Amino acid sequence: MEAITGWWDDYFFATIVVLKIFMASLLLMVIFGLIGAAAKLSNSIIAKKIANAYTIIFRGTPEILVVLLIYFGSAIALTALFQVFDPSIKYVDVPPFWAGTFAIALIVGSYATETFRGAFLGVEPGSIEAARALGLSNIQTFIYIRIPEMWRIALPSFGNHMLSLVKDTALISIIGLNELLFVAEQATATTGKPFTMFIVVGLIYLGISTVITLFVMGLEAYGRSHLRAVK
Amino acid sequence: MTQPLIQMQNVDKFFGSFQALKNINLEVHKGERIVVCGPSGSGKSTMIRCINRLEKHNNGKIFIAGRELTDSEKDIDAVRREVGMVFQSFNLFPHMTVLRNLMLAPQLVRKNNKSKAKETAMKYLERVKIPDQANKYPSQLSGGQQQRVAIARALCMSPEILLFDEPTSALDPEMINEVLEVMEDLANEGMTMICVTHEMGFARSVADRVIFMDLGEIVEEASPQEFFENPKNERTKLFLSQILSH
Amino acid sequence: MSFDISLILDSLPKMLSGIGLTFQLLILSGVLGLFLAFVLLLMRLTEKWYFSFPAQIFIYVFRGTPILVQIFIIYYGLPQFEAIRESIFWPILREPFGCAIVALTLNTGAYVSEILRGAVLAVDRGLLEAGSALGLSRNQRFIYITSPLAIRLGIPPYSNDVISLLKSTALASTITVFDMMGIARTIVAETYAPYEIFISLAIIYMIFTFFIQKGFGYFENFMSRHVKK
Repeated sequence: MEAITGWWDDYFFATIVVLKIFMASLLLMVIFGLIGAAAKLSNSIIAKKIANAYTIIFRGTPEILVVLLIYFGSAIALTALFQVFDPSIKYVDVPPFWAGTFAIALIVGSYATETFRGAFLGVEPGSIEAARALGLSNIQTFIYIRIPEMWRIALPSFGNHMLSLVKDTALISIIGLNELLFVAEQATATTGKPFTMFIVVGLIYLGISTVITLFVMGLEAYGRSHLRAVK
Repeated sequence: MTQPLIQMQNVDKFFGSFQALKNINLEVHKGERIVVCGPSGSGKSTMIRCINRLEKHNNGKIFIAGRELTDSEKDIDAVRREVGMVFQSFNLFPHMTVLRNLMLAPQLVRKNNKSKAKETAMKYLERVKIPDQANKYPSQLSGGQQQRVAIARALCMSPEILLFDEPTSALDPEMINEVLEVMEDLANEGMTMICVTHEMGFARSVADRVIFMDLGEIVEEASPQEFFENPKNERTKLFLSQILSH
Repeated sequence: MSFDISLILDSLPKMLSGIGLTFQLLILSGVLGLFLAFVLLLMRLTEKWYFSFPAQIFIYVFRGTPILVQIFIIYYGLPQFEAIRESIFWPILREPFGCAIVALTLNTGAYVSEILRGAVLAVDRGLLEAGSALGLSRNQRFIYITSPLAIRLGIPPYSNDVISLLKSTALASTITVFDMMGIARTIVAETYAPYEIFISLAIIYMIFTFFIQKGFGYFENFMSRHVKK
């Protein structure tokens, strides 16, 4: 157990990195998900086809493959791009943080498109009709009727997406990001106690998952508060 | 006087802080046909569900054929063998054929062998007038047919008492009669039954006693004639005026 | 930036030679995981806390941590203990393939048991009441009513988990298993052609996913032919 003592700092900062990735990819995931859902719900056949292709591609491809592809692939693409302007550039490096964040946001975003689409369609048509009949504009209907119902419908699945996102951050260690698994590997090399080092990683992830789960449960309870039976 | 088949004494039932049954006292003798009516939420279903322990009563005692209904598994199992139930939503097992639906409990609970169970099953299928549907699945039958199968299924256990929980409420109007006819036949053959229903025509022609419940209490109990022509309680009169006016 | 078709044609057979390992990982972990899931489910459903609680903890831990961490703990971590190195399990746990199977099995077991539990809870309560009313005991209700229906209800989410399992097999490449992904990474390291190799590999995985989904679709329709209206 004493093996860990020198490493608390590193684990701490690595956890911060994981949390940063989580926040950044969460934002991107929501954006990708919303765009995808909008495309699937739109009237444009092309948009629907592209959005469906997005879902199919990322549903059927291993996450680690996506991370590697985006990391190496974007480095090459950007290098080629920059070489057009300045042929002396040998290699453009894409920071693993951003390549990884982008990759996992794309992956979970593809599932999110279905979640958001389902939530949009799950809103009671009756409520919308009532809003129209009362004279609310499209925007008002969207803000006051659609959105409140939508987030409640989407919440359980969205919670799962957040958990997926957290767990996928571990994959970014493969492309060299200085996050938890990476730190654990280094610590193992010095302390010779791989089990201890990796268990700590597991516990930290478990802690983060727990916090997210509790947060979602709290939101779900808030979302149901209007359903309390009248005494 | 022979011992009543069902006795409920001072029965209360709570769901959390809500009292669904208030001081229920009821006696049912063998061969009696009882109809229970009342507004939604009056406790009618809860009351009969306490009889076969689908709900657990909080206070008071319930006796079925002299045996008290307690927490003991043995008592509960013994009661359920003698008390059959027909549900509003039929509750036929969707993954089994009609025949298997009927044979399952006799084989598992009464330990009948396969041929005896099948014989009994076919007998009751004929009783409810759909022997040709034996090998079909519930999803292939109409609502009225499904409910008749449900009645046959309950009968296969040769119960002493049949409980009906709004058996026709989930049926399209044109199918209600086929089910009521079966229930009338059973009544005429002397089956002891308690029927929660809104079908007042059935109550008038078949019932020995009509019980009106409201807000968890038994408000009035009388013969059908007395009940419909000469209701005594104000709440009963109100209820009758509401349901008989259209 | 060029797209080297000849490279793809050259590499495809090499990557496909890894199919054997990919499928072994998938099928073995899938089947073992399913057994584990049933065991966990039964443990979870009993009223005896000494079965239910450990099962809950197990499921919680394996669903709450990344698979990669689980793989690393088993492959890199366990050898830290002499007890492990001297146990009868060592031949399995010494090998990357064995560790991958163990990790994937434990992981999918946890997820599938939750799927099954959800399916059990989704069975219509009315049917269980009818079973009670007919006098069937708890065990009889579970065997004859709940289980057949829960299995049918569980097929769609289960098929998703099988697809996830397929994707997780690629992680075995991180501990030197030479399945399709492992071979692909070696080729990329040699040729510096990530696009051609990885994109073709992605297409291969997508094709498998397609067939798995189709297969389960047919299976579900077959099983539910009487149950669904």
